Amino acid sequence: MRWIWLDRFEEFVPGVRAVGLKNVTLAEDHLHDHFPGFPVMPASLMIEGMAQTAGILVGHARNFEEKVILAKVKRAVFYQLVRPGDQIRFVAHIEQVHDAAAMTGGEIRCGDELVGEVELVFSHIDQNISGLEFPEENFVFTEDFMALLKTYTPRGAERIRL
Amino acid sequence: MPTIPREEIFDKVRQALVDALSVEEDEVTEQATLTGDLQAESIDILDIVFRLEKAFNIKISQEELTPRDVLSNPEYVNNRKLNAAGLAALKQRVQHADWSKFEQDPDIDKILDVFTVGTIVNFVEAKLAATP
Amino acid sequence: MKFVLIDRIVELDSGRRIVAQKAVSLAEEYLADHFPKFPVLPGVLMVEALVQASAWLVRERLDFAPTLVLLKEARNVTYKSFVAPGQVLTITSNCQALDASQSVFAAHGDLDGREIVKGRLTLRHMDLVTLDTGYAELDTRLRAQQRAQLKLLWKGCPASQPAETTSAG
Repeated sequence: MRWIWLDRFEEFVPGVRAVGLKNVTLAEDHLHDHFPGFPVMPASLMIEGMAQTAGILVGHARNFEEKVILAKVKRAVFYQLVRPGDQIRFVAHIEQVHDAAAMTGGEIRCGDELVGEVELVFSHIDQNISGLEFPEENFVFTEDFMALLKTYTPRGAERIRL
Repeated sequence: MPTIPREEIFDKVRQALVDALSVEEDEVTEQATLTGDLQAESIDILDIVFRLEKAFNIKISQEELTPRDVLSNPEYVNNRKLNAAGLAALKQRVQHADWSKFEQDPDIDKILDVFTVGTIVNFVEAKLAATP
Repeated sequence: MKFVLIDRIVELDSGRRIVAQKAVSLAEEYLADHFPKFPVLPGVLMVEALVQASAWLVRERLDFAPTLVLLKEARNVTYKSFVAPGQVLTITSNCQALDASQSVFAAHGDLDGREIVKGRLTLRHMDLVTLDTGYAELDTRLRAQQRAQLKLLWKGCPASQPAETTSAG
């Protein structure tokens, strides 16, 4: 299982707002455990989709200089089930960005339906936490995440011809 | 700005703490310490500061509560503890806290433990009074 | 990945408290992405572990009536440190309210006695037949699977204890 919970950016307004899109598909192994015969996208993984969408938005606003990690889920509430074949959008906005931390709010939508709301706090960790040391390079913003940003165009996904 | 009575400030501070920390209203007393009695983490402090800014329409910088220029200053800190000069500087910068216990063990990693609900209410009260 | 975030149930005080464990291993593939050169259990999987531990308490208490137990709301989930491969996160979840369709928990995860994560969870529960009568058979199968899974996870599960011997000593 890859740890990437959005497929594409639909919107990216630097420092303000980002919309990440995720397709939910039976090809995803974990759906077969959650639950056998009645697959439902786990709420915890939807929180991660929002965290990745919002985290990239925050990271970009700080030029990817710091390692941006999830420090607190203030509130995540879910109103509807998400099933295979659904396409969900993580609509994230920045509430505040400080030197040490950032706060984001956001909605999870499936079409017009409000599936959930997620409010997060991110920490910019570059000093020791609990006596741990971190590798120098920014391991949080992997190639996969940076590729998502690279392929985003404001006009929407361009079809590449064969 | 018209003066907001202290009880009203207390109520709003209490609400911010209840929302940020999932504590019960009756746990939020004047003397309750944020990191001790209410079990706030340092990341919660940021959350609380943000809620207070919104509730009172004020700007609070973390520096006003934990001034980095004092706490990271090699002239004031030895082995992660504040010296006499550092303590004096701290008391001058953050006037609403009761530093008497902290003085006995001025460990900079424990600075947040000083802040009580009352400290925060005093802090907001002073801020509002200072705002034109 | 098998979406099972609880490896063992250590204690279960029916309807009140559950203590469970999640062991983290480099064999878990997603760790290669989270993060490269710094593998740690993702925060949301800590939430999932807290949810799953709480869900087992719900199922046991309600005698496996609800076949779907889902996270409705997570509040003030705070992360204090990391869990790395080779370490075991011990989860304690205290039930604050429980009825047929909803439950509320205050849960935390510890590593060697140090708190790593804590938060408040509201779960919703239902069976599938409520959603559609065609699911009756699936409900029966899921209940059987979930009963078996609990016995696997919880050695202290009453039905699985060996019959007591009457010999002295």
